[in-house]
Amino acid sequence: MLVRAVAGLAARAAVPVYPLVGEGMQVRVQRLHLDPRVRVVDSPRHATVLLVAGRLPPDTREAAARVHDALPRPRATLGWVATPDDLPGAGLSGDAVVVPAEGDVGAALVRVHHELMSGARPGEGPLLPDEDPVPWRGEGPYGHGGTGMTGGAPFGRPLAERDDDLRDGLTLDVVPLTVGPFVPFLPPGLTLRVVFNGDVVHALEVTGSLPTGDRDHLTADGPPTIEAVERARADHHLRWIGWALRVHGLPRLATWTLRLADDPTIRPADLDRLERRLRRSGLFTWHTRRLGRLSAEQVTGSGLGPVARASGVAEDARCDDPAYLALGFVPITHDGGDAAVRWLQRLAEARQALTLAERAGQRRVSGSPEPPHGTPAGQRRLLELLPELTVGTEWGDAVAVLASLDLDPGLAAVRGQVGS
Amino acid sequence: MNGLYPVMAVAVTAGTLVVGAYVVAVLDELLAPSGSQPGGRSVLVEPVARAAVLVRQSRVETERPDWQAWALAPGLLLGLAATMLVVVPVAPDVSLAGVPHGVILFGAATALVVIPTFLEGWSPNSLLALLGGYRMFAQALSYVIPLALVLIGTALPAESLDFDLIVADQQGLWNVVRMPLGLPVYLATVTGLAFWGPLSAPAGADIGGGIDVEASSLHLLLWRLGQSGVLVGASAVGATAFLGGWHGPWLPGPVWVAVKTLALLALLVTSRHWLAPLRPEGFVVLAWTVLLPLALLDVFVTGGWLLL
Repeated sequence: MLVRAVAGLAARAAVPVYPLVGEGMQVRVQRLHLDPRVRVVDSPRHATVLLVAGRLPPDTREAAARVHDALPRPRATLGWVATPDDLPGAGLSGDAVVVPAEGDVGAALVRVHHELMSGARPGEGPLLPDEDPVPWRGEGPYGHGGTGMTGGAPFGRPLAERDDDLRDGLTLDVVPLTVGPFVPFLPPGLTLRVVFNGDVVHALEVTGSLPTGDRDHLTADGPPTIEAVERARADHHLRWIGWALRVHGLPRLATWTLRLADDPTIRPADLDRLERRLRRSGLFTWHTRRLGRLSAEQVTGSGLGPVARASGVAEDARCDDPAYLALGFVPITHDGGDAAVRWLQRLAEARQALTLAERAGQRRVSGSPEPPHGTPAGQRRLLELLPELTVGTEWGDAVAVLASLDLDPGLAAVRGQVGS
Repeated sequence: MNGLYPVMAVAVTAGTLVVGAYVVAVLDELLAPSGSQPGGRSVLVEPVARAAVLVRQSRVETERPDWQAWALAPGLLLGLAATMLVVVPVAPDVSLAGVPHGVILFGAATALVVIPTFLEGWSPNSLLALLGGYRMFAQALSYVIPLALVLIGTALPAESLDFDLIVADQQGLWNVVRMPLGLPVYLATVTGLAFWGPLSAPAGADIGGGIDVEASSLHLLLWRLGQSGVLVGASAVGATAFLGGWHGPWLPGPVWVAVKTLALLALLVTSRHWLAPLRPEGFVVLAWTVLLPLALLDVFVTGGWLLL
């Protein structure tokens, strides 16, 4: 009786879902945040359904399987893909339910969750063998091997070791960790090898960048209209803000921003309201100021787009476009080049983009339009700059800096392969 | 009657913790920025349904966790939240614990919150959770002294560490007026105590939920109950120490305590939606250079005013 009541109640809850963002599905997954039937959670441990959105690159299979096994039972996988052939990881789980990319994923999530909670669906077993990554050999009190005062090094496990401190002379243990590619606080597809010294980043290396972003949403006949390009730019910046606000621990303001991005009647004045809210949250004073500063020399001539303009470098393809010049376009730049300034730069560019879109009429872009987050070469340059920007900072600051760069690791990776 | 008292007291405390957690969840939904609610769902049912999901799930294991410590953490946090609640007088000479030195007991509970919180981060043998634990330590070292100082500020005019006398002393003029620095500093520090909203770095989104990242099922439910319990307990004590507790016209004392507690709770809950979580280092600097001097000033000004 009680068990049935609990099951019935549990089935009515908004579906806690952990998404794995695959190729071309980033915007769709973001729209899920606006679905009242669904609750996107930050840790797989808090979810009932794993949503595999889009095709996952083959070399992420194991990472995806690891996330799958991190969900508590009863759990289920929902594939959200264009064709059944794309079925998550070619069958990340054999029991996965599949919804087409244009289908109502919210309804499917509700159905799967309902079946799980009511017991109609058995729930999936683990995909990986439940064994320690390296066998424990039964020596010492915890089977960790070795003798001596500290018990020796555990087999195959990096023992926390001391290393020189980078900041204040307090020597702490350094611990290595691989972060990504499916964590909500890094751009989708980015994998980092981070060595932590307490809460401080001791070393950082980009070990993976996978194509997961949305590309070519401007495939019209002939050159696109300025209105379409600039609306897409504003949309891109607002979606970035929506994502970055979650990273900064403001999920409700993030949802509010995403709803604004989805509003077809959005006006430049709406962004003033957004900016006021962001300023009041303290985001630009306590959280991002003086972090991840990039000098004009570091960013000149690399195609970094808004990141360069936030450091005072007025590089913009639109400056060479007569159609833009006829609209009186002048690139916005800021001084300072820190994370806070990059936020303000994108807010200002989104507002400018909406204003341009309103005034553009039927004018078309001549040449290739300025991309909203810089060129592929610029993205590669940003990945190169990451260690320099983050080593020696606290992890929270490093994440704030990473977020402020609007990285699209897929863009860097795809074009990088073409170029090489 | 006397034999039954402990049983009744435990039942009332547990009931208050559960109802309090529910109220926190409902307030959280109601006070979010308009347009950010998912909408279409019942605000009143959803928290219960979420709890039911956690009850239905089974626990996830991590590699070689410290099981005992991990299991202990939510219980300890709930116990500390209960300790905060039982010192609150709801009418003259009526509180669940009835201890003469409630300020000391409450202060001890606030100082110990760091233990379950660190255990919750340390036990699962997971680095992101451990980082959350580290952050809680840095945070706790910073909030605990200003918190204790502003409470001492309220004890000075009453010349007692008994919350009952502190309330009685506020007849006619509440401490929020007599010592205007007290309540703001108190609220700032208890936000850190409950690792909530602007001071939720230990459970930060940048570490995937930090101390919460590995918690699941019933364990997560109990942990969240404990966190909400700390919020409720600290709000109730705030209402007692600064807002005159059971003083108030027309309504009976316990209702006034509940109303004032709700008001503080609403303030704390709202902060989560509007203020970005501070960087751990930022809070340490803020606590030692701003909160601590303000708390000292609060004590000195109150003391000076009493001498005049």
